[in-house]
Amino acid sequence: MRGVPVSTSGRTLPEHTDSNGAQPAIVLDAVSKVFANGTVALAPTSLAVNEGEFVSFVGPSGCGKSTLLRIVAGLVEPTSGRSITAGGATRTFVFQEPTLLPWRNVLRNCELLLELEGVDRAQRTQRARRALRMVGLDAFEKSYPRQLSGGMKMRLSLARALAVDSTLMLMDEPFSAIDEITRESLNDELQSLWLAANFTGLFVTHSVYEAVYLSQRVVVLSARPGRVVAEIDVPLPFPRTPEDRTSVPFGTIAAKVAKALREQHS
Amino acid sequence: MNTRGLVARILVPIITAAVFIGVWAIVAATIYRDRNFLVPRPNAVLHAAIDNRSLIKTATWATFNKAITGFVLGSAIGLVSAALLSQSRLLTRTLYPYAVILQTVPIIATAPIIVLQFHYGRTSIVIISMLVSIFPVFSNTLAGLSSTDKNHLDLFRLHHSGRLSTLVKLQFPAAMPNIAAGLRISAGMSVIGATVGEFLVGQGGAKGGLGIAIIVSQAQLKTALLFAEAAAATLLGVTVFAVTNAVTNRALRNWHESALGEAE
Repeated sequence: MRGVPVSTSGRTLPEHTDSNGAQPAIVLDAVSKVFANGTVALAPTSLAVNEGEFVSFVGPSGCGKSTLLRIVAGLVEPTSGRSITAGGATRTFVFQEPTLLPWRNVLRNCELLLELEGVDRAQRTQRARRALRMVGLDAFEKSYPRQLSGGMKMRLSLARALAVDSTLMLMDEPFSAIDEITRESLNDELQSLWLAANFTGLFVTHSVYEAVYLSQRVVVLSARPGRVVAEIDVPLPFPRTPEDRTSVPFGTIAAKVAKALREQHS
Repeated sequence: MNTRGLVARILVPIITAAVFIGVWAIVAATIYRDRNFLVPRPNAVLHAAIDNRSLIKTATWATFNKAITGFVLGSAIGLVSAALLSQSRLLTRTLYPYAVILQTVPIIATAPIIVLQFHYGRTSIVIISMLVSIFPVFSNTLAGLSSTDKNHLDLFRLHHSGRLSTLVKLQFPAAMPNIAAGLRISAGMSVIGATVGEFLVGQGGAKGGLGIAIIVSQAQLKTALLFAEAAAATLLGVTVFAVTNAVTNRALRNWHESALGEAE
């Protein structure tokens, strides 16, 4: 999985702190969500994410992280407030389950979203093949989802999202059902993809380490009703390597996130 | 499939059949010894089947012909109406209760009305067979179409898929296991429908199908032949079911493991 080309230049510090140059990709203006049964899933929340930024959301179960992501996706209407995405932005979603179509082989699954978007056959095959190559599944084009392992299914799900070249990649706990070792290698892959592809990433997770490892910024949400209680920058250079997971700066930041999270439980 | 699976799937049912025929032979030879017109011996049934093979063949073919026509028409109506209802919650709320009620009306009770409309003949029988074939396909298809995974639907919506595209590319394929289950039930039902239809409509000769042949044999107290004809009707039902089963399983071979049975 390390065969994926990684831009060696890496990325600099997150730019959301200074306003010069960085364009916001998403602006959430006091969005809230109250479900029909009266449950307040999300208290009014304001947040901006810059173009090309990778931001993770962590928080206790049921804190509205998924709701937040679905509001950004336009799949859920906010009860109040506005969710604004940059003009010309295209969105795609990666779910907790791979959500593959069992009757389509790997290549056809990877082409699905392009097909729905009306991309012509030759183009979509070419783009799907490129995406499959990026996640190391090019040898499995003709396989069916049931023949793939859990990690491979998730890589296909990522490739499918990647193939549409969306400017916004919304990921809802995509690796939470995957074993630790596979998960770490998927983290590396996702990082490589983000470094190579230049999309804005919003990533919901339960794992503090995953959030810190992947992100330029970690947003900690409170218990229901969810609201932002901490925004913690992760000023570690990219590409990050598995060794970084045990470095002192990494540990310090992870501890900060964990502390903010812990305060939500007490 | 391993040897054990083969034994379990083929040998065990054969043993069951052998035991059944053995018990039957003993019962016919003892309790019904002097009344074989009530329960004939197995070999008498076999002889009756061989002696009347052309009659049974013609009758079976006639029944099959009507059943398959009814099955195809009924399934098509079931599929199309389920597709239509899946597109509108209002339509489902309006029509679904009546579909259920229609299903619970016994076909024996509706048959005379059908005969009044379409007269004594093939058309009425095909319609009866069709009517009993609609509901299993309809209800299973509708259940399948309305239980599409929510995340899949969201994904399709996010990527601007229209209703028709979602129906064709997502909902129908996802509902295939349900549709297959409906088709299997309807396949068996269509044979019952055709036989009962022949029974009720009544159309002379072997060309009238197994339903008529059975009535005639019963009236003439040709019990052995009656048994042979009943066996032919059963065999027809089983065959139609098995063929449908094989076809749908083949179509579903890339589906979830559950639909693959022991093929893995």
